[in-house]
Amino acid sequence: MNGSVKIAIIEPSLLIRSGLITILHRLNMIQTDVFEVAEVEQLKSVFGRRNPDILVINPSVLGLISLQQIKKMSGNSDLKCIALQNSLFDNAILKAYDDVISIYDSAEQIGEKLTRTIIEPESNKRHESLTLREKEIIICVIKGMTNKQIAEKLYLSTHTIISHRRNIAAKLQIHSTAGLTIYAIVNKMVELDEIKDLPNSNGE
Amino acid sequence: MTNFRLGKYRESDSMSKLLCEKYFTLLVLSRFGIALGFGNKSIGEVCRDTGVDTNTFLTIINLLMDKNLEIKYSETSCSLESLTNYLHNSHTYFLNYRLPEIRTKLVEALDPAQKELNKAVLHYFDEYVLQVHKHMKYEEKNVFPYVRSLLQGEKKDNYNIGIFSKQHDQIEVKLTEFKHILIKYYPAKSTNEINSVLFDIFNCEKDLASHNAIEDRLFVPAILDLENKIGKKP
Repeated sequence: MNGSVKIAIIEPSLLIRSGLITILHRLNMIQTDVFEVAEVEQLKSVFGRRNPDILVINPSVLGLISLQQIKKMSGNSDLKCIALQNSLFDNAILKAYDDVISIYDSAEQIGEKLTRTIIEPESNKRHESLTLREKEIIICVIKGMTNKQIAEKLYLSTHTIISHRRNIAAKLQIHSTAGLTIYAIVNKMVELDEIKDLPNSNGE
Repeated sequence: MTNFRLGKYRESDSMSKLLCEKYFTLLVLSRFGIALGFGNKSIGEVCRDTGVDTNTFLTIINLLMDKNLEIKYSETSCSLESLTNYLHNSHTYFLNYRLPEIRTKLVEALDPAQKELNKAVLHYFDEYVLQVHKHMKYEEKNVFPYVRSLLQGEKKDNYNIGIFSKQHDQIEVKLTEFKHILIKYYPAKSTNEINSVLFDIFNCEKDLASHNAIEDRLFVPAILDLENKIGKKP
């Protein structure tokens, strides 16, 4: 997961919009970046600029636009849409949404629905520890070896190395070599003189 | 209810009130070269006294206050010259003050028993600072002179602001990573020093992000506007 979850609230009523935002802040459970949209016409610029992950949308503001059109417009195939229900709607309309939040929901219910929507796709990816292979690769990386050199040394394809490196970055949330170096030293994976990238006389 | 104020700040609002309500404006003030000690003067008066363009000042304040604020450059009547000076002073602040200060504090906060590790930590930070230097130097060397020549009515054929906005990266991202590394992996004792440097990094990160926001949302549109105007002239 990359930073915060971006939620756009599309609801013409300022009171309801602000109320929902207050609840989201109160929940304080997920790293969220919330922004408001009063009219559907503004959606286009929101998609371009903010690229939201979730739309919380009052079905009645859509008018003749279908949910499919909205998803297409966003250019984000993983976009989730949650209906914000403040009056009676046909069940057939609500079914098209990923979830439905009612204005009578409690804070906990809203939180649960949002979490459900966000977490589903990548549930148990976190907190995994590194595999032996990954540790091996980290050591090579901080010694200054290129992907190709690592591949040759470990008898793997460069492609495999790249995908290992991607997994390492996801698990540790460290993307740079300098960052991996710190990680390796903390975990006593290397001796300092093995590291290529460090200036030797810079002690302070 | 005289203290009640809705929405954006205006010229007639008191400068000292603005500062007390939103203390981050202190940074904006010093980048415009406005000294403290202005008594009860309004924002407009203080700006005029120090030769600062009031519109630019207010636009920046309001943009920093509300990141969702919809800004159309053409309606702000910002001065591109003021804006450029502001950005230049921000660069000086980050490069000559903020980042060196964080480094000094970092050195003090690191656990002396972790000699090897500290070397790697400082190396990471130094590499980051180098990157920020490069990022800002590019703007100082290429973008600002370009803007100055535009302001004098010259349009160079070999450069346009599109080149800049395409490669304008978010320089705070690597600082965020650094912060994560310190928090998650550095075996520090819980000391006032480490807290203090972390607070500074949090602030600096936010400050860099808003610096970039000003460049992307105000500076670039302003230049585009001027490019179009000059391009239309025969």
